[in-house]
Amino acid sequence: MIPEESPFRARWDLLIAILVVVTGLVIPFQVAFVRGVGVWGSILVYGLDLFFLLDIRFNSRTTFREHGLEVRDPKRIARRYRRGMLPWDLLSTVPFDLLLLPWAHLALGGLPVVLLLRLLRLGRVIRLQVILRRWQRSRSTNTGYVRITRLLMVVFLLVHWVACGWFAIAVVEGLSADSWVARAGLADLGIGQQYLRSVYWSFVTTTTVGYGDIVPIGTLETAFAIVVMVVGASMYALIIGSVASLVSSIDSSKTAFWNRVEGVNQYLRGRDLPPDLTEQIQNYYDYIWDRYRGVSAPALLKDLPEPIRLEVLFHLTKELIEKVPLFRHTGPALRNALLMALEPQVHVPGSYVVREGERANGIYFVSRGTLEITAGPQSTSHGTLEPGAYFGDLSLLLGERRTASVRALSYSDVFLLPAREFDRLKSEYEEFKEVLKVISSEKTEKMAELVIEGVIL
Amino acid sequence: MEIHDRVAGEVTIVQLDGNLDTNTAPDAQAHFDGLADGGHTLIVVDFGTLNYISSAGLRVLLATAKKLKGMGGQLRMFGLNDTVHEVFEISGFSTIFSVFATEAEALEGF
Repeated sequence: MIPEESPFRARWDLLIAILVVVTGLVIPFQVAFVRGVGVWGSILVYGLDLFFLLDIRFNSRTTFREHGLEVRDPKRIARRYRRGMLPWDLLSTVPFDLLLLPWAHLALGGLPVVLLLRLLRLGRVIRLQVILRRWQRSRSTNTGYVRITRLLMVVFLLVHWVACGWFAIAVVEGLSADSWVARAGLADLGIGQQYLRSVYWSFVTTTTVGYGDIVPIGTLETAFAIVVMVVGASMYALIIGSVASLVSSIDSSKTAFWNRVEGVNQYLRGRDLPPDLTEQIQNYYDYIWDRYRGVSAPALLKDLPEPIRLEVLFHLTKELIEKVPLFRHTGPALRNALLMALEPQVHVPGSYVVREGERANGIYFVSRGTLEITAGPQSTSHGTLEPGAYFGDLSLLLGERRTASVRALSYSDVFLLPAREFDRLKSEYEEFKEVLKVISSEKTEKMAELVIEGVIL
Repeated sequence: MEIHDRVAGEVTIVQLDGNLDTNTAPDAQAHFDGLADGGHTLIVVDFGTLNYISSAGLRVLLATAKKLKGMGGQLRMFGLNDTVHEVFEISGFSTIFSVFATEAEALEGF
């Protein structure tokens, strides 16, 4: 059994995708330009078949997902494949043309029947769809790149097929003086020249450029040209649409984030803010992008079920958990409750986390950066707070206004445990008070000094 | 707020009655300073009749504790009500102050 998301399946998928494209290029080229059942050409085609036969074997053993669960039952896997892609895969892989090899000279409209039968192999492109879907689902690939790959494959295969078809039309017309090949003076030129001009016409027509230097005359040519124009116009629309959406989706989070920033900037521009404040806002967004790639953790987390959210929070705040003494003494249940209750905040240099005179709103835990305690009209410094420090507890416990401010000296990440959550945890978890007692004893000396200096945070 | 002193051997027991807040803190500070300067460096504070303590009160106690420690003395306390006790425990000051449940316990081992 091959797990759908195994590295082997991923590598094999890549190989098959490349071979599908090779098939899509080789077979029509043989039909339109080579028009002979050559030894090397046949070896190439049958060699490719071996890979695709192997692919059928692997496909019938590759697990799949149903209702979010990976199905590993071999019988169900085989049954699903039998009813789904197997007929297609067989039709496009079994070398039916081998039966006709003894009559390799048989031709239809100038095109060898053996080669025409080989066109069945073009059905392999369907496998690309399955492979691309698998890529799109895998977490490691950017869906934007998968879409670009698909777009490029569609465009190049289509252009190639149109070129081959366009030349084949002339062959069916017997390469007569009225055929486009003769009129363009290509009849006696080498295959390379003929192919180049065909591809040129294919591009000129599908991109709706239409120089008009090569034009259809006969019924067949005209009919074919009409079909190509219709297909070309659709393809053109597909390309334009895809490229536009791709450019924005390659890094959709980046686009969304900077669009939001631009919205804020536009709003502020008309409101005559002081330049240093504007710069602070700009710096804030730069930092947020730098540190968090613009994803607002709370918004992202809201979508997730609680157990997963806890896991994510645990990993996101690992740094904090290691640094803040509070977490070192908590059991798992209280730690989870704390993680859910904490509100992350980011502060830019110079901005105030709390201000003198404010009422207590909770306890702040410093996770990153350096903050300064200042008080009084002169903003006298009373020392700094480093990662692991916390403040806000005294004003909360005493129910008093703060007598000092805390200002970020560098970009700082702090977590706020809001007052209501503090009260809730205190009443719900007997352990919480004990933990606070233990951790507060670790910072008492410093805090006592601050209180003596009249600093209440 | 009223402050009453009792003497038990070398130890002075200070009973705080009322609220120890911004208004009463200067008086309390002056009282403790007077005791320390008078050579009474072993002080036990009776919180039994103290209703409320604010940050200014904390400041008085912390400053006194620091001063007494510098003089080789000690500040102990007992009879804290639940609210005060919680503030002391959570803020961690109970480790600086030596908090006891009863007067007897507080006086023991000086």
